[in-house]
Amino acid sequence: MEIEHRVENEILVFAIKGRLDAATASTAEETIKQTMAEDTRRLLFDLSALEYLSSGGLRVILGAAKEIRRREGKVALAALTPYVFEIFEVSGFTAMIPIKDTVEEAFKDLAS
Amino acid sequence: MKSQQYSFELKNDLSELETLNQHLIKFGQSSGLSEACLTDINICLDELFTNIVCYGFKDDQEHITRFVLNLENNRLTLVIEDEGIPFNPLEKEDPEIPDDLIDVRIGGLGIHIVRKLMDELHYERKNGKNKLTLKKMSNLF
Repeated sequence: MEIEHRVENEILVFAIKGRLDAATASTAEETIKQTMAEDTRRLLFDLSALEYLSSGGLRVILGAAKEIRRREGKVALAALTPYVFEIFEVSGFTAMIPIKDTVEEAFKDLAS
Repeated sequence: MKSQQYSFELKNDLSELETLNQHLIKFGQSSGLSEACLTDINICLDELFTNIVCYGFKDDQEHITRFVLNLENNRLTLVIEDEGIPFNPLEKEDPEIPDDLIDVRIGGLGIHIVRKLMDELHYERKNGKNKLTLKKMSNLF
C-alpha cells in the first residue's frame, strides 16, 4: 500500500494505491491524521490505483470523511475500481459519500 | 468438471493477509473462478481471518487458522477453522446503516460484508475449535 498526498486549489488529495486492508490500514490512518491540517475542509480520495479494499481500509476512509463532515467540509471519492465500488455498495455507503468517476469530476464537486 | 480442493494455513498475524492473497491467486489459476468471484472470496476470508487475529486469542502464542476451499458441481465451499476462544461471528447483528455519515458507527462491517457476498453461512464449535463454513453458488465464473 502506498499513500501519496498533495494540495491543489485548497483541496487535500490522498491517492491510495495497492491494497488497503487491516494490515496496511494503520499506516494509512497515521499518514492521513498527520497530513490533515486543522483547517482542512476539502478532502479528495483518488482511488484509481486502489486494487483492493476490506473493512479495515474502509474504516480509514470513513473515519477521515466523518472528521471532514464534522468540520462542515466536503469529501469526495474518485475513480473507484469495480471491486472497490462493490465494497462501498455492499456496506451501504454509496449514498453517503459522493463518488465520482474521475478525479476531475471530484475536483469540480469539491470546488463548488 | 472435477472437484477442486485447496487447503492452507495461516499464522495469527495480519501480515499473513498477503499470503492469503497469494493462495487465492493459486487457487484461481487451477479453479477457473472469475476474478470478481476470487475478489469476493478474498474479502470474505480477509474479514473473518482479521477478526480471528484481532479478537480470537488472549495470549501471545502462535496459532494456526486452517482454510479449506472446495469447488464441486458449481458449488464453492470455504471452511475456516481456528483454535481461538469460542466465537460465533454470525451471532452479531448487522449494523444499521444510518442515513448520515456523521451517525455511522464504524464497527461490525466485516460480517455484514460477508453476509452480502456469500450465499450460505454456518458456524459450529467442534473439538475446541471454531468452524465457519461459507457457500457460494452464484457468480462463480
